[in-house]
Amino acid sequence: MPSRPNRVLEEVVVNPLRAGLPEEGITTPCSAVFFGASGDLFKRMLLPAVYSMHLRGMLPTAFALVGFARTPYDDASFRDYCLKQLDLFMPQDKKPQGPLWEDFAKRISYVTADFTDTRHFLALKDRLAQNDAEFGTAGNHLFYLATPPPVFPDIIKHLKEAGLDKDDNGWTRIVVEKPFGTDLESARKLQQAIEAVFPENEIYRIDHYLGKEPVQDIIALRFANTIFEPIWNRNYVQNIQITSAESLGVEERGGYYDSAGALRDMIQNHVINLLALVAMEAPISSHADDIRNEKYKVLSAIRPPAHADVWSLSARGQYGAGTIDGEPVVGYRQEHDVAPDSNTETFAAVKLFVESWRWAGVPFYLRSGKRLPRKVSEIAVTFKPIPHRFYGEATDRIEPNVLVIKIEPDEGISMRFEAKVPGPKEHIRSVFMDFSYGTGFGVVSPPAYERLIGDAIQGDQTLFTRWDAVERAWEIVTPILEVWQHTKDFTFPNYAAGSQGPQSAQHLFPDWRRL
Amino acid sequence: MSFGLVLKELDERARERGGGVYVATMTIVVFFEDAAIGDLARDRIHTLAAKHPSRVVLFDGTQSDALHHVEGEDWVELGAKGSNAALLRGALNALRLPEAPVILLWIAPGIGDDERFCELSRDARTVVYNSSLVDAGNTALHQLVEYVGRHPELPIADIAYLRLAPWQESVAILFDGEESSELLDLTSVEIACGSDPEALYLLGWLASRLGWKPVSATMLTSPSAKQIAFAIRREGEPRRIARVALTSTRSSFVAEVDPHGETINLSVSGSRAKPPRLRAINNPGVAALVERAILTSQNDRVFQASLAAAGAVLAVGTPSP
Repeated sequence: MPSRPNRVLEEVVVNPLRAGLPEEGITTPCSAVFFGASGDLFKRMLLPAVYSMHLRGMLPTAFALVGFARTPYDDASFRDYCLKQLDLFMPQDKKPQGPLWEDFAKRISYVTADFTDTRHFLALKDRLAQNDAEFGTAGNHLFYLATPPPVFPDIIKHLKEAGLDKDDNGWTRIVVEKPFGTDLESARKLQQAIEAVFPENEIYRIDHYLGKEPVQDIIALRFANTIFEPIWNRNYVQNIQITSAESLGVEERGGYYDSAGALRDMIQNHVINLLALVAMEAPISSHADDIRNEKYKVLSAIRPPAHADVWSLSARGQYGAGTIDGEPVVGYRQEHDVAPDSNTETFAAVKLFVESWRWAGVPFYLRSGKRLPRKVSEIAVTFKPIPHRFYGEATDRIEPNVLVIKIEPDEGISMRFEAKVPGPKEHIRSVFMDFSYGTGFGVVSPPAYERLIGDAIQGDQTLFTRWDAVERAWEIVTPILEVWQHTKDFTFPNYAAGSQGPQSAQHLFPDWRRL
Repeated sequence: MSFGLVLKELDERARERGGGVYVATMTIVVFFEDAAIGDLARDRIHTLAAKHPSRVVLFDGTQSDALHHVEGEDWVELGAKGSNAALLRGALNALRLPEAPVILLWIAPGIGDDERFCELSRDARTVVYNSSLVDAGNTALHQLVEYVGRHPELPIADIAYLRLAPWQESVAILFDGEESSELLDLTSVEIACGSDPEALYLLGWLASRLGWKPVSATMLTSPSAKQIAFAIRREGEPRRIARVALTSTRSSFVAEVDPHGETINLSVSGSRAKPPRLRAINNPGVAALVERAILTSQNDRVFQASLAAAGAVLAVGTPSP
């Protein structure tokens, strides 16, 4: 396990004016290199995030952006390209213009590259040296891999060959987009390729889900309050359901999705990360590795299902034609770039146990799927029923308490409890106590990518996944993947778009919260 | 002052709401004595209350204390002209949300000898003051320095100080890295601003960070007994810094607002010369500054030190703008 602490102060505080100053922005100088800068992720998410940080004064003044991709551009035409994309993807009040855009634009440069040719990486090295001299980026280099994953090893190898794996004057960090591998073996291979060049404290495995404000609020809810921890264990908790559902289909990602499926695409990373946050022990501090150590301990306490148990501990589904919001939609096998006899699951549900003193015997039900009735991400903690009933009319059903942490779309917390219905009878029914971040704070959370890019520049790995956790998550899902892959499901498609999912999920657990 | 009627109206509104969710988590109390300032305050507090749902109680010192106005379930305006301190406190006690913290925004001249301020601030978790709103001179800041000197426990924040954040950051940027050594070698500071409190706070902040003590109305001395000349110039819009220039024996460091007021241009000339840099100003609105005051004022030691240092500058003689 890596040694702590991980959060390294990037600069010794020698500037006395900084002491006690509210953090208005990032001060660490940096050149950020985006591999795959002509791709979709860069133009839709990363470039707007970086420009928005610039507008908010969050970027260091000593900052430069380098695009690195196959599409031929020179600096000027890449700046034009960036301007056009920002015009498309930034909100109306943040369109690029005036001195702020000009200041940003002059920091943009581009290297047309073949990812397998060291000469292009040497050209990148020259460019970074130029940035250091021109913009004072101080030898600090952030390499963001926004390319398709198969290219990652080539990039890493050539970074090393070009001598870009380290800089005598500054730091080097590498941001790796998910998916981190397509199975346990490929993840280990990728890790070997990366760790041969970069140490763990320079690797930032990004899962943008972890940058979402409500995910971070899970820690605050649990550990900034005293009322939850005493009952957050097997003595009081009946089960925990974690759901990440979408009403969308595969959209334009049919080709990728058909080789991935719901288990790889969502459960192995997003959903298991939520499980770790909700089940972990209190970390001894908010330092990255203290939190990540606790998350890893949870994952290491989950026993991967034996192959023989996979069918009793999981359920899979694939959507057929149906209706979403009253509109007819096609089935998965009719989607673009999807094989007409595809065996890929678009719905996955898994039952896991965390074998620890705190959680022994408490089932964790995880599910994720596409073309479900609505988009919802939530964690529902269902508490045990009352031990003895002496109140309420005989016909009343007394429901267990449920605490729901709502991540999307309405961020908030909801508590279900029982209350007496006003009147002479002693009727009992469930009521809800709701807190919504929208009305409670009235703020719009900054997009996850802004937070994560900022954290990477500042060297804070808290919201990035450590290798041991990635590997453990793959180990947990591997038996399921193997059994599913080797067993064609002849019932596919087995749920209609817009329905609650396949019947097999109800067999796994009949009390799923209704979507 | 008819707060009994007000309470009745609030009860009715609450009944109209039925069993819906009630989310207010603070009581914001505003006191003003100028109609124009009152209009501004209403607008800003509306913004703040939209973000942090709150019970808002506005004491309008321009209106007779017979008048009241209730809007929705949580917005109450009471005429406060001629109301004494006890009456205001009684109204506040009746109208505040139980268990929720009270935030007092005092937007009127003079706090030191005003009984009403003393009474209203007694239970406030945060007092928000604005020493440059009422006039561009330094009278209000002077009063604040004196009052805080007598009541160091007062959890107060000053909007005039809070709005300096982009400038503090910009000046700090000028001395990040190797340039920080120049801080020991500064010989002069010049601050141009449209009003005195912001300029004095910025000077106070520099002085408190660098251990400077004022020795005259134009001179500071460093811990190593070096003399630093300072000047405050009245320039530009009120409540806005226009330029900060710091000079060492070898270099000159300047942070200056651009003509559109959107960016701060940072330049360094002399032996430490660097290409010009630029930062978005992102002037936060008053609502955002009040929010910052609510969230941070109780532990802001830098503010307390800056206020004390600004007070020390004022004590040796008011620098002439």
